[in-house]
Amino acid sequence: MDNQKWEPKIVAFVCNWCTYTGADLAGTSRMKYPANTKMIRVMCSGSVDPVFILKAFERGADGILVSGCHPNDCHYNAGNFHARRRWDFFHELLDFIGIEKGRLQFSWISASEGKKFADVVSKVTKDIKAMGPFTNYQKMNSEFTALFPEEANADSEIINQIKETVL
Amino acid sequence: MKELREHAKELLEKGEVSAVIGYSQVSEKRTKPIIVTDPQDTDQLVFNEYCLNNLAVYLTKARIKVSCRTKDKTLKLAVTAKPCDVHSVVALIQENQIHREDIHIISFNCHGVAKDFGFEFSGDNIASKCINCETHKPLYFDKIFGEEKETPKASDDAMERIQEIERMSHQERFEFFKNEFDKCIKCYACRAVCPLCYCQRCITDKTIPRWIESSSHMRGNFAWNIVRAFHLSGRCTGCGECERACPVDIPLSLLNRRMAIKAKKSFSYVSGRSLETPTLVGSFNEKDNDELFM
Amino acid sequence: MDEKIILKDDLLRICGDVIDKGHILLCPVMNEYSIVKDFSRIKLDASALPAGTSFKCYVFPKTEPVLYYKRSKSDVQLIDVNIDRKNIVILGAKPCDANSLNIMKHLFNWDYSDEFFNLREKNFIIIGLMCSHYDEYCFCTSVDSSPVSEKGSDIFLIPVDENKFAMRIITEKGSEFISPYAEYLKTGDENISKQITENVKLPKVAFDSNEVYEWLGENFESPKWEGIGNLCLSCAKCAFVCPVCHCFDIVDEDYSYTEGRRMKNWDGCQFGNFTMHASGHNPRDIQSKRYRQRVNHKFRYYVDKFGEILCTGCGRCSRGCPVSIDIKEIVSNCKD
Repeated sequence: MDNQKWEPKIVAFVCNWCTYTGADLAGTSRMKYPANTKMIRVMCSGSVDPVFILKAFERGADGILVSGCHPNDCHYNAGNFHARRRWDFFHELLDFIGIEKGRLQFSWISASEGKKFADVVSKVTKDIKAMGPFTNYQKMNSEFTALFPEEANADSEIINQIKETVL
Repeated sequence: MKELREHAKELLEKGEVSAVIGYSQVSEKRTKPIIVTDPQDTDQLVFNEYCLNNLAVYLTKARIKVSCRTKDKTLKLAVTAKPCDVHSVVALIQENQIHREDIHIISFNCHGVAKDFGFEFSGDNIASKCINCETHKPLYFDKIFGEEKETPKASDDAMERIQEIERMSHQERFEFFKNEFDKCIKCYACRAVCPLCYCQRCITDKTIPRWIESSSHMRGNFAWNIVRAFHLSGRCTGCGECERACPVDIPLSLLNRRMAIKAKKSFSYVSGRSLETPTLVGSFNEKDNDELFM
Repeated sequence: MDEKIILKDDLLRICGDVIDKGHILLCPVMNEYSIVKDFSRIKLDASALPAGTSFKCYVFPKTEPVLYYKRSKSDVQLIDVNIDRKNIVILGAKPCDANSLNIMKHLFNWDYSDEFFNLREKNFIIIGLMCSHYDEYCFCTSVDSSPVSEKGSDIFLIPVDENKFAMRIITEKGSEFISPYAEYLKTGDENISKQITENVKLPKVAFDSNEVYEWLGENFESPKWEGIGNLCLSCAKCAFVCPVCHCFDIVDEDYSYTEGRRMKNWDGCQFGNFTMHASGHNPRDIQSKRYRQRVNHKFRYYVDKFGEILCTGCGRCSRGCPVSIDIKEIVSNCKD
């Protein structure tokens, strides 16, 4: 793919109470940030299951941002504390398996931090752009190495014909 | 061996336990699990270097739990466990799957087991979990047998492999695991033998929405193996049963062990070592490392 | 019967030619049947145990798309899968594996003829190799087979000495395959190979399959099943390594809201979800019922339906069982 034209697809899982409201503030304050990020509003950063991340990668995301309330600010008291431990492990696991740490990023953004939201999104977009498209994972969408490696192409051609991912 | 059988017999005859979960000899270098309910059958019980199974997996099985319930009281369940299997029992108790007072732990002074059935027990054929084992004596037990012996020396190849992978670039690592996961046939034997995979309904069995594809193509295999490793991170006690059960020899314990190293390094936590501490991923500390977050 | 003698080097030369022709050559290498690109890796070892997994996955893959679909507002468009596959030559198939396709064939051509299976099966050449070694889990002799059985093979090899094989050409497919290589074949002496096959040590006959058939019919509610069910962990590894287990599951995988594919995946009767109804009812809700199903299917139901035992006696299920449940032991001890 031509890197000049290519624009990364980034999925952001943001918590309803802080980051989403922060994003709102960034919008109403007319701050500028790259439009590569698709936001998915969840109730708490603690409610983002790691399979959400995998699913997003499967569906063609190049990078993912998970963002929630600052520690001690969680609407549910401890959701983000639990999330913090969990993401620490998941991040390390993905790194070990060979997915660069930059593909999956985390932040704490409060409702009043519209500026921080714009900055974080710009930074993530810049990082992912530098890393290039996440072909490793996306290639698996059409791969059928299970049976006859040489003939996998026949299948993947058909897939490519009819394939246009959601994102 | 004689003491073990007598002890099991006594427990069953006195009616203290409903069953003794133990090992019985199949052939010279192979044992199999056995659930003894009749005192007469206790003479089948054995303990040796070929007792590879982690019997803690049976403790959460509903059918076995039900058999403990009599009209007026709940009987105990006796389980023979190697010191490392006791870690799994402890982890199950920590996670409130079983209660300490319902379990009668019969344990042993252990000096290691063979890496698989049919291999002569020696330094070359010792299970990799035994190489750097620090608990030759169980941490919790109700009855202990066996004499203390020296563990054969061996080099820790699994650890070297982890370090080798860490020296690779991300692209190489990804290719390495891709090749390994490609072999997966989704038999879920790794899940079935794991004492800590006790969920009544596994996430892979959920179909609406289907988070993890049941097809064993690359994408489905990747999702399953990542999620399995993640769900066990900070919980896995390192019994290595998943790797032994795998019919296509995926090095699953590399992932498990890597996450255990992470737990130890970042949180000074080793799974299944203490009944008093809360589980790692089930609890939190406000002072946890915040570096990950922008 | 047509008996020939072939030198090992010549056989390997044929293999090289097969690869050059663009066919796929499968051979037991490192505990599995793998695609061989370099024929110097081939070891024709009659004394090896059955490989960890059988070659079932090359006729009946662990996962495969059966169709692609595209949905629009008014209709659904189906796109067929191309299943025109290459010829596959299996060299050194164990007699217990060689017969597996013959057994599975019944099911895939029963009320519906499965073209995925049939097309691949048609393009298979199985070169069987006599087996001279067995372990405590082998029981081919108990299920109407033997280490020297030619059932299922197109061509059958018997090692005469280190560098020579006696070659029996069994089927027409086999003779068609070997005819371009007639120059390598020498006339053989039937007596020599007969002598070799007669001297092969056979695993002990562990049970009489007719007796097992009878017993299963009468003991559906035997308390034995409960005992086995408590030990079994429901992992279905036995079904996945079995050369003749053939249950599959059909699932739809979406790429997006409008596009996707329908997949056919291996399934195993030992899974709790295997018989789960949408209503929430599960007819085989506990493991003992599932294990009973497995044994009954292999030694009774399949015999009823197709007149053959759904088992080749390779012993993979018992050899690999994480909790060492031995199917041979269970059926041979059923009476006591």
